[in-house]
Amino acid sequence: MTDGAAQSSSRAMPPRRSLFCKYFATLFVAAVVPLILGAAVEASFGYRDQRRQISAVLQADARAASDRIEAFTDGIRDQLGWMVQLPWSAGDDVQHKIDALRLLQQVPAIVSVSLLDETGTERVFVSRLHLNRTGRGIDMSADPAVLGARANKVWYGPVQYQRDSEPYMRIAVAGSLPAAGVAIAEVNLKLIWDVISAIRIGETGYAIVVDDSGHLIAHPDISLVLRGRASSGSFGRIKQLVGAASGAAVITGDQGKPVVALSVHAADVGWTVIAMQPVSEAFASIRAALWRSSILIAFGILIALALAYWRAHRMSGPIKQLEEGVERIRTGQFEHRIKIFSGDELQQLALRFNEMASELAISQQKSARIERLKQFLPSQVAELVEHSHELLEGQRREVAVIFGDLRGFTAFSTRNEPDVIMAVMREYYEAVGTVTTRHEATLIGFDGDGVMLLVNAPVACEQPATQAVRLAIDLQMTVQSIASKWCDAGHAIGFGVGVAMGPATVGTVGYNGRLDYTAMGAVVNLASRLCNLAKDAQILADPTIAGRVRDSIPLASLGQRAIKGYDQALEVFAVAQADLPVKPPGSGPRRREKEPQTH
Amino acid sequence: MNRREFILLIGGGLAWPAIARAQDGTKLHRIFWVSTESEPDPFLDGFREGMRALGYVEGKTVAFETHYAPGNPQALRKIVSELQRGNIDLVVSSGPATRVMTAVTDIPVLFALSGDPVALGVVKSLAHPGTNFTGSTFLSLELAGKRVELLKDIYPKLRKLAVFSNTDHPGEPLEWRATLESCRNLGIEAAYVPFCGARDIENALTAAGKVDANALLVFPDVVTLVHRAKIAEFAIANRLPSMFGWSEYCDAGGLLSYGANQRTTYYRLATYADRILRGENPSDLPVMRPEKFELAVNLKTAKLLGIDLDVSSILFRANKVIS
Repeated sequence: MTDGAAQSSSRAMPPRRSLFCKYFATLFVAAVVPLILGAAVEASFGYRDQRRQISAVLQADARAASDRIEAFTDGIRDQLGWMVQLPWSAGDDVQHKIDALRLLQQVPAIVSVSLLDETGTERVFVSRLHLNRTGRGIDMSADPAVLGARANKVWYGPVQYQRDSEPYMRIAVAGSLPAAGVAIAEVNLKLIWDVISAIRIGETGYAIVVDDSGHLIAHPDISLVLRGRASSGSFGRIKQLVGAASGAAVITGDQGKPVVALSVHAADVGWTVIAMQPVSEAFASIRAALWRSSILIAFGILIALALAYWRAHRMSGPIKQLEEGVERIRTGQFEHRIKIFSGDELQQLALRFNEMASELAISQQKSARIERLKQFLPSQVAELVEHSHELLEGQRREVAVIFGDLRGFTAFSTRNEPDVIMAVMREYYEAVGTVTTRHEATLIGFDGDGVMLLVNAPVACEQPATQAVRLAIDLQMTVQSIASKWCDAGHAIGFGVGVAMGPATVGTVGYNGRLDYTAMGAVVNLASRLCNLAKDAQILADPTIAGRVRDSIPLASLGQRAIKGYDQALEVFAVAQADLPVKPPGSGPRRREKEPQTH
Repeated sequence: MNRREFILLIGGGLAWPAIARAQDGTKLHRIFWVSTESEPDPFLDGFREGMRALGYVEGKTVAFETHYAPGNPQALRKIVSELQRGNIDLVVSSGPATRVMTAVTDIPVLFALSGDPVALGVVKSLAHPGTNFTGSTFLSLELAGKRVELLKDIYPKLRKLAVFSNTDHPGEPLEWRATLESCRNLGIEAAYVPFCGARDIENALTAAGKVDANALLVFPDVVTLVHRAKIAEFAIANRLPSMFGWSEYCDAGGLLSYGANQRTTYYRLATYADRILRGENPSDLPVMRPEKFELAVNLKTAKLLGIDLDVSSILFRANKVIS
């Protein structure tokens, strides 16, 4: 059986999209999509909140860094302010020098201080590296620092990189009295590193300082600053990107990793403080949330998978079972029963299926019985059993029609009691039936003492004429043998036969369940007429029969005879007496002579 | 919120968080220490201290191979061939040894120089060394004149200055020239007392005692650092106000010192060593310069000298006062 099923399944086209897959996909999607949507929405809102919070934190940190840097430059400015409080007078140089040296001691970032008098001439110069100078020195009145300080009281110079490495700037402060002159300090901006490196945003976030043109001034990694102008490109880009955004921007940081950055402008010095925090850290909490969601989604997916699988399996399993059941039935295993206990329509379907299978089994048993039976039936019968439907349909074909009729029966029936008549009839019918069966002919019916047989319909035979003649001979002989018994009992009964062949319409006619197979046409009339013409123990045949059996059974022509219903006389043939078996001696011929008269 | 950023965030955020730090805690890094000085080596100690502070454990994550060729830079040349063994991660050199190491081109070399590394030709520029060399410069040259000035500030009677100098030291002639120039500016006579290496130091001190100077300026280098106590003692014995380059000299009895903090410098050098061992390219690491200079004064010595000193002119700007 399994072989058969496997063959059939391999033979059958596998379904393009199985029910299981459809159910599975639908159930799965129904469960997972809302889950993912929920997580995405949550992540999106979480991101927005986190973004706002990070913006606030960065803003505060950048502002703090900017404040500290301003405090750094303001400190220097204020300290320089002390230097230019009093107007210059003769002999002040030494005192001014000590003040300037104190300033150097006070502010480590200041590398050198120049004090100029009202004319812009250098009076005191003290430095950490170079020799100090006092007394009238060079004229710096045209120096932008002096001009700037005189115009705005305070002047912040541009950032310059000494030997293209260390960032320096000059800060100049003019006294409120022009006579107090100008103080110029050279500031090593590397010292801002102390301010910047102390700023930690979160764990790994930091702040950097760039000037207006994007040159790096301070960075926790001092070596980046010391690379001078050459490295300014990337920081200019960062400054631009961050400056363009309102609030925090996600950009690629100076280390090539994404960072969240926010900038604050320090107006005094014209610098920009950029606070940045790596995205990985800034969004750590939302990332954790995403991970949680992902795990939940994964968990949900697993559950959805399991549920969808189970559901789809519950649906497609019984269907498969049914399909398999059908397949088994097809291969003849009617004892197969489907066991589905789902308690739903599928179980109902299985019940119906089982009922169908048992009915099929019964009909199969019937047909098997018929099959067995067929072995014991004549082939015509077997064929009839198998193809009765087509055979019995109305059609026109050539048939041999045989009519037989008892002679002297009317007189016999009026003279005798019904039981005697019935006994004779029974014997007669039995004899006719036996002969008919023996010759595989079709008994169309009895009509009192007459009988009509058909050869070549509905079951065809090879030589219908010959067969019909042989049948007629056998019939004549058989009936004659019982007729002789009837004669012995005192009943004078003979038997005549007519055979004709020709086209006739054959088929089943009748109504209301009562159906008869019969033949209609001229040949039937002709056979009937020949039968009437025939004398006791005589078999008359038409020219067609005679022509057909010429080679096997010679028939003797009786010459032209006028036949009722036919305009022209027809040549009639008779089966030669020699072909009839020898009749028991005695009464036969005597009665035969009488019989036609009584008929 | 813009979508691109959100995607960037999701992408960056979902990357597995435990991205391993680059540091390989188990690897043993071999550092070659070459010097034309001799042991004990305070520079090596400073560097070691820096490495320890950065979490390196000697013998476990870092191993020093020290090579000394006192006073003979040429003797270090054969060491260069030893470097070809290939298991050396970093060379650290100081002083004249750096010049010899220019033959090394495939191993990072860290240096600590008094002079100008660009002038020495080991780097292309301070901002972008562009070679396998980087390190620190002490700016000794720029400070040479300042030291004379400070000595004159504390001792206005200064008229003749004995300049005690190890000629082995690279950049020494430049340093002497800068000193001489500032002496001229300040109206001071300079007496050059050169010596060559540690073995020459006794004779040089004797010579210094005979130049009729009334103050002593000692160029900072390893030899004078190692023998600082002896030199300080000599100065006190000869009633010479003395000026040195690093505060360690004052701790040992020197009167004044002005210069970058030597330990800070070596500590920073260690941070560069760390960065190079982590894989950074020395050609991208700018040469470091000190931005803070220490003025130290030893009041005990001032008292011992027993001469008229204007200590107050120094005290208000001293970073370190030893009393």
